[in-house]
Amino acid sequence: MAKTILIVDDSASVRQVVSIALKGAGYEVITANDGKDALGKMTGQRIHLIISDVNMPNMDGITFVAEAKKLPAYKFVPIIMLTTESQDEKKKQAQAAGAKAWVTKPFQPEQMLSAVAKLVAP
Amino acid sequence: MAEVLIAAVALAVGAGAGYLLRGRRDTARPGTAAVPPPEVQSQDLARFAGAVTPVWSAQIDSSRTQMETAVGQLTETFAGIVENLDTVLSSTGVLGEGPGGVFDRSRERLGEVVGTLDSALTGKREALAELHSLLSLNEELREMSGEVTRIASQTNLLALNAAIEAQRIGEAGAAFGVVASEVRQLADRSQNTSVRMVEKVDKVAQAIAGVLATQEAGAETEGTAVAHAHGEVQAVLDDLMSMLATMRQSSQGLEQAAVGIRGEISDSLVNLQFQDRVNQMLEHLRDNIGRFPDVAAAAAAGAAPLDAQVLLDELAARYTMAEEHDAHQSGSAAKVNESEITFF
Repeated sequence: MAKTILIVDDSASVRQVVSIALKGAGYEVITANDGKDALGKMTGQRIHLIISDVNMPNMDGITFVAEAKKLPAYKFVPIIMLTTESQDEKKKQAQAAGAKAWVTKPFQPEQMLSAVAKLVAP
Repeated sequence: MAEVLIAAVALAVGAGAGYLLRGRRDTARPGTAAVPPPEVQSQDLARFAGAVTPVWSAQIDSSRTQMETAVGQLTETFAGIVENLDTVLSSTGVLGEGPGGVFDRSRERLGEVVGTLDSALTGKREALAELHSLLSLNEELREMSGEVTRIASQTNLLALNAAIEAQRIGEAGAAFGVVASEVRQLADRSQNTSVRMVEKVDKVAQAIAGVLATQEAGAETEGTAVAHAHGEVQAVLDDLMSMLATMRQSSQGLEQAAVGIRGEISDSLVNLQFQDRVNQMLEHLRDNIGRFPDVAAAAAAGAAPLDAQVLLDELAARYTMAEEHDAHQSGSAAKVNESEITFF
C-alpha cells in the first residue's frame, strides 16, 4: 500500500510540483494551504510524512510542526521543512519544534525524493 | 517577468530619489527660484510619499496577483497533462505484456477448443476400431455356427446308422432304435438352430458394416474439418501475433514519447517555483514601500531624521532568501542558490 504524504504550502505551484514528483514515485498525496488547513485535514488520516513550508499565512510552518507534534498520532511522523528561508535561526526553531529535515527552494524533484526516501519508503 | 517587475519598482523608487536630489541640487544652485526651507521640503516629501507609494504598492500587488494566478493555472494545466500521461502510460502496459500476455492467452484458449475437437475425433476412431473388432468376432461366431451345423449333420448320419443297426438286430435293438431316432431329431433341431444363427450373425454383420461405413465416412470428414480448424487457428494466431507486434511497436513509440513529454513538463514545473520566491520578494518590497510615507511623515514632523537606513534595515529584516541579502548588499541581481538539504 502506497505511503501518504501531506504537503503544506501556500503556493499552489509548489504544491503541484511536489505532488507530481511524489505521485510519480508512487506516493499518495494530500495538500493543504497552510498550517491551520493542514491540522484540519490530518484528523482521521493515516499520514506517513509531512512536507511543510515555513512562511505561510494563518499558521506558519514552525508553529504547525509544534502543533502537529502535540497530536499523539503524529508524534513520530517525520516532517520535512521545504522553504525559501535561509536563516539559521529559523532552521534551529524548526529542529526544536520536531522537524527532521530542512530543504531549501528551489528544489530538484530528485533531491526531494531522496530526502523523502530517507525518512519513509514508498 | 519578475526581473522586469522588480526593475520597474526600482525605477520608480529611483524617480522618487531623483525628485529629492533635484530639490537638493536646486537648493545649491545660485540664481534659481527660491528654495523652500528644509521643513517644507520634508513636508513635500511626506506628501509625495503618501501620494505615490500606495500606487506603487497597488501595482506590485496587482502584478504579484496576476503572476500567482497565471503560474497557478499553468501548473494546474501541466499537472493535468502529467496526470493524463500517467493514465496513458499505465494503460499501454496491456499491449506491452510479455509471454503471458493477450496473445498467449488467446493461443491457449483456441488450443483448448481444437484439443476438444481432437479428443472427440480420437474417441470416434476408437469406437470405429471397436466396431471392426466386433465384426471380427461376428465372423468367428459365423464359423462356429458352421461347425455346429457340420457336427449336427454328422450326428444325424451317426443316428441313422444306429437306427439301421437297431432294426437289423430286431426285437433286442428296438429300444436302441428309439434312442437313435431321438438323437436324429436333436441333430435336426441343432442344424436348424445353427442355420438360424448364421442368418442372425449375417444380419448383425451387415448392420455393423453399415454403421462402420457411415461412421468412417463421418470420421474422415471430421478429421478434415479438425485439420482445417488447426490451420485456421494457426492463421488467426499468426495474424493476431503480427497485429500485436505492430501495436506493441507503435505503443512503445507512444510510450517513449509520453515519458519524454512527462519529463519535460516536470522540468518546466520545477522552473515555475520562481513564482513562490518572486512573490515573497515582491511582498517584502511592497511592505517596505508601504512604510515609506510613515518614515517621511515622521521626518516632516521632526520626530525622526529622514534616514534611508531605517527602511533598508526593515527591508533586510524581512528577507528570507539568501539571494535577497546578496542583492541588498551588492546592489545588483543575485544568483539563486542551489537547493540544500539538512537532516536533523
